[in-house]
Amino acid sequence: MLFSPGWRAPVRQDQVLAVFSLGLLLGGSLSATVLWLLSGLAAPLPEAVRTGAILAVGVLGVLREAGWVRVPMPQNARQIPQEVLRSRVRRGALQFGFELGTGVRTFVSASAPYVVALGLLLAHQSAATTILTGTGFGVGRAVTGTIRYASRHDEWDDRRVTRMPLLTNAIGVTVLVSLALLLLR
Amino acid sequence: MRAAEARPAGRLRRGLTEPLLPFAALAVLAVAAAAADQVVLCWASVGALAGYSLSGSV
Repeated sequence: MLFSPGWRAPVRQDQVLAVFSLGLLLGGSLSATVLWLLSGLAAPLPEAVRTGAILAVGVLGVLREAGWVRVPMPQNARQIPQEVLRSRVRRGALQFGFELGTGVRTFVSASAPYVVALGLLLAHQSAATTILTGTGFGVGRAVTGTIRYASRHDEWDDRRVTRMPLLTNAIGVTVLVSLALLLLR
Repeated sequence: MRAAEARPAGRLRRGLTEPLLPFAALAVLAVAAAAADQVVLCWASVGALAGYSLSGSV
């Protein structure tokens, strides 16, 4: 547990959190850069078609999260090996964060990341918007480690597990509503 | 002296680290940015929400 109160490594835990978070931001930004390059392929499609497809994917994400439809999503069904943290803690945390931040090196259990990734592919936004969305993805992942660290208590994990079904469903709906508001104006 | 992990979290700390709180803040930001046609902020907030939806234990 990288940010649990029982930290025993000879490196300050807040430093590990900082480099881990930096890795998350870099990883998210890199994946978004790739998405931006690929999004050029969708540019020739009419805007109405692209908007319709994005919102349809958003609705599918909400339905999948609610358990009303089963859609298998591609994911790298492996855990990042713990060995990356064993030799050098700071460098390992950076690598661990980077791999998590890319979103393609380990499990992706929720629907929202797929909706956002496909949304970026289809919307063909500017490079800055797309990359900052990836950076935002890293920020969102870093929030978990930060508040886990700030809670200073293992009981936080129980609260997180209890809230996860509500969180993933609410995030799916919020992503859909936000993109609908933005794209249909 | 009891170990830190054995002490109950304070009420304020517990409230401030409530897992639903970041979602609420990001959701307000994303919807408000969309309503105000702030494209970059909206997409970035939506990206952050997507990242937070993967709140695994780290």
